[in-house]
Amino acid sequence: MDKNITVLETKNISKSFGKVKALKDVNFSLYRGEIHGLLGENGAGKSTLMKVLYGLYSADQGDIFINDNKVNISSPLDSIKLGIGMIHQSSTLVPEFTALENVILGIEGKKLSLDLSGERIKVKKLANEFGLDFPLDVKVKNLSAGIKQKVEIIRALYRGAKILILDEPTTSLVENEFDQLLKSIKALVAEGVTVVFITHKIREVLQACDRASVLKDGEMMGTVSTTNTTKEELVEFMFQNKDIDVTDSALPVIELPEVKLSKEPVCSVKNISVKAQDKDGVNLQDISFDIYKGEIFGIAGISGNGQKEIAEAIINPRRINQGDIFINGESIAKLKTIEVFEKGLFYTPEDRKKEAILPSGTITENMLLGHHREKRFQHNGILNWNKITKEAQQSIREFQVKTPDEKTPIGDLSGGNIQRVVIGRALINELNLLITHNPTSGLDMGSVEFVFNKLVELKENNCGVLYINEDLDELMLISDRIGVVHAGKLVAIFTREQYDKYKIGSLMIGG
Amino acid sequence: MGQLTELISQIITYTAIYALTSIGIVIGGRTGIFNISGEGIMLTAASAGFISAYTTGSWFIGFLVGAIVGGLFGLILIALHETLEINQFILGITLVILGTGISDLLYKIIIGVQLFAPEAPPVPQISIPLLSQIPIIGTLFNQNVIVYFTYLITAAAYYFFYHTRLGLETRAIGEDPQSADVVGINVKKRRYIATIVGGMLMGMAGTYLPMIITGTYTTNIANGRGFMAIGIAIFASWRPERAFLGAFIFATIEILAFQQQLSGSDFPYQFLLMIPFISVLIIMWLFRKKVEFPASLGQAYSRE
Amino acid sequence: MVDNTKKIQNDTQMTRFWQSAKPYLLAVIISFSVSGILIGILGYNVPRAFQALLLKSFSSQRGFIQTLQKFIPLTLATYAFAIPFRIKFFNIGGWGQMLFGGSMVAIVGIALASFNLPAIIMIPILLLVAMAAGAFLSLIAGALKTYYNINPIISTIMLNFVAYYFVNFVATTNPWKASLGHPMTLKIPESGRLPELLPGLHMGILIVLLIIFIIHFMTNKMVLGYEINATGINQHAAKVYGINMERTLMLTFLMGGAMAGLGGGIEVMGVHHRLIEGFALTSGAQYGIFGILTALICKGNPLGVPVSALFISALLVGADAMQRTAQVPVEIVFVTQALVVLLIVVFRSTGNK
Repeated sequence: MDKNITVLETKNISKSFGKVKALKDVNFSLYRGEIHGLLGENGAGKSTLMKVLYGLYSADQGDIFINDNKVNISSPLDSIKLGIGMIHQSSTLVPEFTALENVILGIEGKKLSLDLSGERIKVKKLANEFGLDFPLDVKVKNLSAGIKQKVEIIRALYRGAKILILDEPTTSLVENEFDQLLKSIKALVAEGVTVVFITHKIREVLQACDRASVLKDGEMMGTVSTTNTTKEELVEFMFQNKDIDVTDSALPVIELPEVKLSKEPVCSVKNISVKAQDKDGVNLQDISFDIYKGEIFGIAGISGNGQKEIAEAIINPRRINQGDIFINGESIAKLKTIEVFEKGLFYTPEDRKKEAILPSGTITENMLLGHHREKRFQHNGILNWNKITKEAQQSIREFQVKTPDEKTPIGDLSGGNIQRVVIGRALINELNLLITHNPTSGLDMGSVEFVFNKLVELKENNCGVLYINEDLDELMLISDRIGVVHAGKLVAIFTREQYDKYKIGSLMIGG
Repeated sequence: MGQLTELISQIITYTAIYALTSIGIVIGGRTGIFNISGEGIMLTAASAGFISAYTTGSWFIGFLVGAIVGGLFGLILIALHETLEINQFILGITLVILGTGISDLLYKIIIGVQLFAPEAPPVPQISIPLLSQIPIIGTLFNQNVIVYFTYLITAAAYYFFYHTRLGLETRAIGEDPQSADVVGINVKKRRYIATIVGGMLMGMAGTYLPMIITGTYTTNIANGRGFMAIGIAIFASWRPERAFLGAFIFATIEILAFQQQLSGSDFPYQFLLMIPFISVLIIMWLFRKKVEFPASLGQAYSRE
Repeated sequence: MVDNTKKIQNDTQMTRFWQSAKPYLLAVIISFSVSGILIGILGYNVPRAFQALLLKSFSSQRGFIQTLQKFIPLTLATYAFAIPFRIKFFNIGGWGQMLFGGSMVAIVGIALASFNLPAIIMIPILLLVAMAAGAFLSLIAGALKTYYNINPIISTIMLNFVAYYFVNFVATTNPWKASLGHPMTLKIPESGRLPELLPGLHMGILIVLLIIFIIHFMTNKMVLGYEINATGINQHAAKVYGINMERTLMLTFLMGGAMAGLGGGIEVMGVHHRLIEGFALTSGAQYGIFGILTALICKGNPLGVPVSALFISALLVGADAMQRTAQVPVEIVFVTQALVVLLIVVFRSTGNK
């Protein structure tokens, strides 16, 4: 790192989305050849700041300087021309195109011809140089998350990027891959590339970065050198609170109660195989596991390896091609979703906005979803709205949902409050088993803690929990056991004393 | 022999209608814009194009006006979609209805009721030397100018989408506008261009109807062909060269059904007239597993 | 203090009302100005044309009855589009379903003529036939979507043309056709015709009022209405929480098609008493097409359908009057209405932005 040579600087950047101020007078600077961590909670404004630098958002006010020259970035093209490259949190490659086509997409040159063989040689050479090899002629949709990331990095470098922004690059990587990524980044830095590394995990910043800047609620808290800081200092920086008790992955510290597990499983999945619903889905093959009362059973896996399909097979067992599922010893294979719910199961899906809520519907209407055929809410197909409304009001009180009333459209609430409604809905009835997929994603610390506490409460009440999460740190924190899925198979089950990040991680990527 | 040649010649003449319209739809669709207003465009362009050709006596001005009308419809659709994120299908349907009304209104106002139907100025027929002499296939090269234009557009669109960098970028927008955006492709601009160009082709197909097929403007002259072209675009998996093939198939069905009707069989002619429409459904059903489409088709894209 | 908060509440209510009414008012004003200018340019008498257009339906009892006459098929055609649109599917087949409903009523009505059934049996039979016929066509489209993933926009449009030629077939073929002239069938028996409540207004109005009530009830109070609503807002979430998408799709198409078929049947049973080619037309276009526009005005909201339909019916009556008194082509009204819809959609979106 060339100290004191500033390659990029922002002055007083502000950006609002409607009434929400996402960035407030943010000053930020990068030294040439450094790895600069950008740390903050979910919603702190990390991605927003970087999207401003990349031209995806335009700042409401403030200036950007590159090599001390004021620049105007109003589109990604401007940014690319200034030598900025960005690797986004979720893949921004065209799935139907090959890796090579993706790398060369949009670059300057003769537009009315297409010389793939010439480009192939150049791309290959560049990839070799940084040890970022990948198959060039395979459609991107058939590549793993780790490989896609390599393609994206090469794509940026191919455009001559000198500043590389990595937005939460570790979300879909396991521990071993993280080490590899770090190696590649170091190789890039040696060549004079400057790297911004966005994360909410303090551990990764300490491990990977030279300096770190901390954002909170859209404000820049400051920048520190990682050589003379500690985890505790960064925590205090990140949360502006000395007494907060968090892990080095910025998760709330919780105490798991000792709960005696039942002898018989509450849910027993026996050798199920399920054919994928669509082209991009995963076939489940011969999956078996048991969940006991009072147990939190975690499922680890890279997104898209069958964990969602497992959850959906349980709540919609008619999809199962082979095998059976038992709830308290009773087969549910022939039941519809609504009937499965009547057995004391409920589900909170992965994608809150897309799959869990009716955004323009009221909180009451959302509370009813999944319970709409229950006898106590309807008679002969006619709904008892009085009863439903009362239930919704009670839920709002019990789960401390911040809302003017139960008639408010749920889409108007914050992510944390939406999740409270979603979990509240799941817990209207006494449950035997809760299936929950990434319930904490995108939530702030307070809401994460709320979710954890609810899970612990369920455990204490002898409810089983199937806890699916792509974040291994979280799973290891809260699960009694962890099953690992890869390519539609359950490859191993670990008990708490066997937990090992590297072991589980390598199984997650098929190692 | 002569009859067969005549039949094929007629089929080729009709192919141009479907090909221009469906390739117009394909071009927009490749950027994710599903323009279903083809029927409305065709009707309005038929009326406006015919009126201009008739009043100026120039077939060329007729098609030019037709293309401009189509381009305008495309512009309205894309501008409202991009700036206000109004659903493409709602816009499309409204434009169809608007076009249906405007076409007759224009004609009533400018031409009015005439004792003898006004006739369109002739569109030049070109025989390509040598090629047109080949038996049967020669009919492909003894056609009106617009048919040659259709050949050209088909080939050009194919080359553009699969053999140029610009085409690759355009397809990327239809597959995944966000990915296209982050590599610096101007998604908005390309969508505007594609939708307008697509509309222009549909407009030319509309003008073709009174100029070549009927010789004059009549109410509801498009008779559902603008909708059938949507079926062709889907059948063609949004590839221009396959759209041409689809156009040929539908032209064949239309002509054969028409021939059957002329031959005076006992079969109720109404059912023959239904055949092209039912064929759309049958062909879509037959090819349901083989069709592919741009992943972002019909969806709005915005960064925030 | 209390007064003050009340005033503020009133104010916000006023602004809210204004906010929601604004796009409609603006759209109507602009489109009418455009058509006014057009009418003027074309040399027609603008005040006279507008007087006819706007006042006809409310200035006389006859005008109002004419409005209700159009309100009957238009409301049903509007539901045909609005109900499937609730779950974001487009049934463009309203007019074909109407035509098919009308055709089947004529066929069955003529076939039953010799049985001399009383009206109390005949009318319900024919109404059911009409609904079944419309539903049959729309269910083809629904099934093609559900089982083969074929876009209902295309399938419903294709079936429109099939229905269109079917009408022509029935109206020109033995044993149904009347002897001479414009394609039409023999009359259906007396017992199958809808009796008149007032001169010019048949019983169909009561049927439509009943339908409006049933649809309101279903939407607000029934599990089915909730399921349709939920699917419309977010089909993924609805599916996850046990609402069967396929079933909902089929049901909405069934209901939509039945409404259109009923509309066509009622036109035959109440107005013409026979199938006539071009029978479901008004102001130069199909009721089915106006139904789409009408539904788009109220965003397909079932509760808004009657209001929206009444507004358009009044305009349609005005359009006829305008053509008669000022010789203005009816297409102007058609274009104006398409423009109204387009502008409403536009202004509504600008309001959201």
